Amino acid sequence: MDALGGLATGFAVILTPGNLYLCFLGSLIGTLVGVLPGVGPLAALALLLPVTFTLSPVGGMVMLASIFYGAMYGGSTTSILLNIPGEAASVVTCIDGHQMARQGRAGAALGIAAIGSFIAGTLGVVVMTFFAPLIAAVAIRFGPPENFGLMVLGLVCTLFMISGSTIKGVLMIALGFLSAAVGIDVVNGRERFTFGSVDLSGGIELLAVVIGLFGVAEVLSNVETMTKNTLVAERIRGLWPTLADWRASWMAILRGSGLGFLLGLVPGGGPVTASFVSYALERRMSRHPERFGKGAIEGVAGPESANNAAVAGSIIPVLSLGIPGNPVTALLLGALIIQGIQPGPLFMTQRPDLFWGIVASMYVGNVFLLLLNLPLVGLWAQLLRIPYRVLFPLVLLLSVVGTYSANKNVFDLWVMLAFGVAGYVLRKLEYDLAPFVIAFVLAPLLEQSLRQSLVMSPDGAMILVQRPVTALLLAASAVLVALMFRRKARIEGGS
Amino acid sequence: MFERILNAFWVLLGAAAASYAWTLGVVGPAGPESGLFPLIAALIVMAAGIVLLLRPADGALAPDFPRGAALGRILGVIAGLLVMAIGIPYLGFAVTGAVTMIILLRTVEQTNWGASIALALVSVLVVTWLFGHVLGMVLPRGPWGW
Repeated sequence: MDALGGLATGFAVILTPGNLYLCFLGSLIGTLVGVLPGVGPLAALALLLPVTFTLSPVGGMVMLASIFYGAMYGGSTTSILLNIPGEAASVVTCIDGHQMARQGRAGAALGIAAIGSFIAGTLGVVVMTFFAPLIAAVAIRFGPPENFGLMVLGLVCTLFMISGSTIKGVLMIALGFLSAAVGIDVVNGRERFTFGSVDLSGGIELLAVVIGLFGVAEVLSNVETMTKNTLVAERIRGLWPTLADWRASWMAILRGSGLGFLLGLVPGGGPVTASFVSYALERRMSRHPERFGKGAIEGVAGPESANNAAVAGSIIPVLSLGIPGNPVTALLLGALIIQGIQPGPLFMTQRPDLFWGIVASMYVGNVFLLLLNLPLVGLWAQLLRIPYRVLFPLVLLLSVVGTYSANKNVFDLWVMLAFGVAGYVLRKLEYDLAPFVIAFVLAPLLEQSLRQSLVMSPDGAMILVQRPVTALLLAASAVLVALMFRRKARIEGGS
Repeated sequence: MFERILNAFWVLLGAAAASYAWTLGVVGPAGPESGLFPLIAALIVMAAGIVLLLRPADGALAPDFPRGAALGRILGVIAGLLVMAIGIPYLGFAVTGAVTMIILLRTVEQTNWGASIALALVSVLVVTWLFGHVLGMVLPRGPWGW
């Protein structure tokens, strides 16, 4: 099936009242999640994942994907009006977006953020439409050794992109592997790390881990430093950017779209990295870099476009290779596996309705989001009046509901609490939690690939260097590791 | 100091997990056994822990743990979640959720009793209605059937 034929299939799937409703609902929830500070897209996806168990796989995935990209739209509202990022990918939008709001140009900042997001999101999906089938066509020839090499490269890329200590990132990946090993070994039915506990024999529940690390830990961090929000603009006027605004922004939007898409593809990249890199790029390319930090509209247009394009980019490796690049896409992969679907090179041919349905829903979702974010911006601004003291107990209640609903097992609540406290402490000690979640989701697939590779080879582990593609992927991983050490040595030499 | 203890913990955890993984078997006649993958992971944990332990301590990076009111708020949230985990099997979601919310609002935000109770009841009712009825999810029930 070619890309256009596939897209037609996707639109036939998505343009039904039920799926359109779920796409709209996901976009609405995503915007809400983005607008409300302290509730990130990952926690929201984890909380609502059990809801999708009662939906069809297409409906469930459409809703989850639309929450993800919806949050990228909504995050800018809080950054611009409150100077508090609604979610991590909107941190840099605070810098110039809030300055614009203080100068009475909140409408223009919100307008360019929404329009830039729409353009970048749509461009990202267009490229995704033609690019994902190409990747899948190559990856379909991969066997277990190549899959193993690809996953190792993905994890090394994640390490390369994380902020902070690489060795702590390595530790988090290994801990993710160890945590995922708890339970019954599916190959021979042997129990591992269960210590006779019936609750542990089913393994550690993904939702309890994610809600703990990114929901409960986030609440703990936020209640530690509770501050009163100050809304800058009471009424939003002049959403449509002026001609001068357009002249300053259109190249930033295009650059942000391209950069965001490419950084979304890279494991460890994604919307957060894309927005930071885009801001740095715009500042470097500007003829008047001194305007940045004082309300430069391109400082809003570039990063907001980049984080939306990165969503489309980051979904490609999950759907076409089965490899997530960030915790949100790891959770999307987990959601598909829970539904009994294994994404990867065969996904597109085995489940064209689901693959193309998700792609088509992103076109529709971007239109919904533009409609939700421009005319209703005043409503979202009013939501920012909800104090965090009202919000956080509700987030905790939802965390409990979300965690319990996965298995109807109270033990998972203890797991959530343990991971919540651990996540809070580890964040204090500057451990990046993203590699843990990615490794936790990838571990069963990685172990399976490794074991299959070793079984199919008479030379044991030598198969990993005898197969050219695997050798190339592992060599690329080794080069990245060497670059990481070189970078570290350079930083230490400079300090 | 805390970070040093944590790094030592990683080393011990890695060593314990590696020795346990070894007992599961690493490679057998049919190929890799259940212990191979966890053994590799445990050895990485141990090695990373050793590297972190041997690294010179950087006082500037000492974690800023909460004290006073901030610590009280954090302990309040943990206490609320403990109440949920302990109470849900006996009292169900609705009652435990309401009690937890009142604890959170009273301890963390020090909202007055009336507002705390009203807010807790409304929140629990909305969540129960939305998830239990509209979305059809199964919420834990108490001895009184809700």
